[in-house]
Amino acid sequence: MKLFRRGRVLQATFGCNPNSSSLGVDVTFLLFGAVFASALAVVLGALLRKGPKQ
Amino acid sequence: MKIARARAEQFGGIVELASPRALLHIDRELMRELGYPDSPLWDLPEGALSAPREVHVVLSRKCAAGCKGCYVDATPQGKALSFDEACGVLDELAAMGVFHVALGGGEALELDYLFAVADHARKVGITPNLTTSGLGLDEAAARRCAVFGQINVSVDGVGQAYADARGFDGFHHAERALRLLRAVKPEVGVNCVVSRSSFEHVFEVARLVKRLRLNELELLRFKPVGRGARLEEELTPEQGKALWPMARRLVWRHRIRVKLDCSFAPMVFWHQPSARAAAFFGVQGCVAGDVLAAVQPEGGLTGCSFTAQVLADARVPGAMRAAWPKGFGEFRDYVATAPEPCASCAYLKLCRGGCRAVSNAHGNFSDPDPGCPRVQEHRAASFSATGPRPEHGPRRPLPVVAT
Repeated sequence: MKLFRRGRVLQATFGCNPNSSSLGVDVTFLLFGAVFASALAVVLGALLRKGPKQ
Repeated sequence: MKIARARAEQFGGIVELASPRALLHIDRELMRELGYPDSPLWDLPEGALSAPREVHVVLSRKCAAGCKGCYVDATPQGKALSFDEACGVLDELAAMGVFHVALGGGEALELDYLFAVADHARKVGITPNLTTSGLGLDEAAARRCAVFGQINVSVDGVGQAYADARGFDGFHHAERALRLLRAVKPEVGVNCVVSRSSFEHVFEVARLVKRLRLNELELLRFKPVGRGARLEEELTPEQGKALWPMARRLVWRHRIRVKLDCSFAPMVFWHQPSARAAAFFGVQGCVAGDVLAAVQPEGGLTGCSFTAQVLADARVPGAMRAAWPKGFGEFRDYVATAPEPCASCAYLKLCRGGCRAVSNAHGNFSDPDPGCPRVQEHRAASFSATGPRPEHGPRRPLPVVAT
């Protein structure tokens, strides 16, 4: 039996960057740390799956 | 949650969300779950992105302001991409799958076809964003700025600090532009170049962002490029170490969103933040020639706006797409070939050696970023027996792309 592994969100960047140099550090999000990042990945993945499929 | 666009990558794919505005990297399983077909890219080894995620289109080197540290050396007579050239470039970028463009200059608002270019970007599915000094922006132009995703106005200080940083008294114009733009849309922020002299005035700019209810403050590192190469405005080692604590304080004290540009990555990683969180939120050093690219007013495709090595003529149909997969090795190979102290740094894959443009300005493109506190400590230790060293190595001016 093949085990089904759910897909994951690997990275998330929010907003748009209007600058000549790329967005390096979103201080606000980085402050929340790894636990918040893991939780957000799960939530974003779930919300993506709920949306319309291609 | 609506997906505006998506494209496949070796790791899976990138999806762009319309609301909230976000770019998500997702793995192959999730791409399949969302209904996307398997991609031939999934059979390839790990490498650079198949196309940049965002491109800075330097529409012109034309600007009447004459800021003393202008990194593109803009003048009133500077070169500009024509309307047709700019639209052609956008068509090419859209075909490659680019999600965002940052339109800038020079002063892009001085071009009478700026809004037509932005409309064209929307038409081909790219989100246009804008950086402006705000000089000359009136109510009518502010209303037309609704076409942009994010607009940031350059404010390097408040009041006299602005004049000291830029060489002319334009703060009231910039503040007026911010008010006009904020009346039109919420996605308006401030770009603030953090230099040796302006470092202590950043808190005043943060207060301005809070007072005008702007959505972000982006702190940009002063780079000794263009006219900036003549100035001694790079951060001191103490300021470099103090940057990340200052940015955190700005967030907590003013409850505003603060971003740092990619060249500040070494100053952040020196404080050892969570690597997992950094990877998830896309916190990275030099992503030139990979996540980011730039198109110069002369048509050259470069790794970023601050470097002069041209990979292809972006105005030639198909040239960018053909050159991209094997191009920009000087940027992409840094992690694999990094010298000490980068080679032994736990954050190397994220930091990527800091800013290549700054290293190049100091003499060697492939050297570790001389503004990195870890690099400074390493050099101090290496040369401690030979007496005191300067804060940075000898610097040579980095030429802008020839006009």
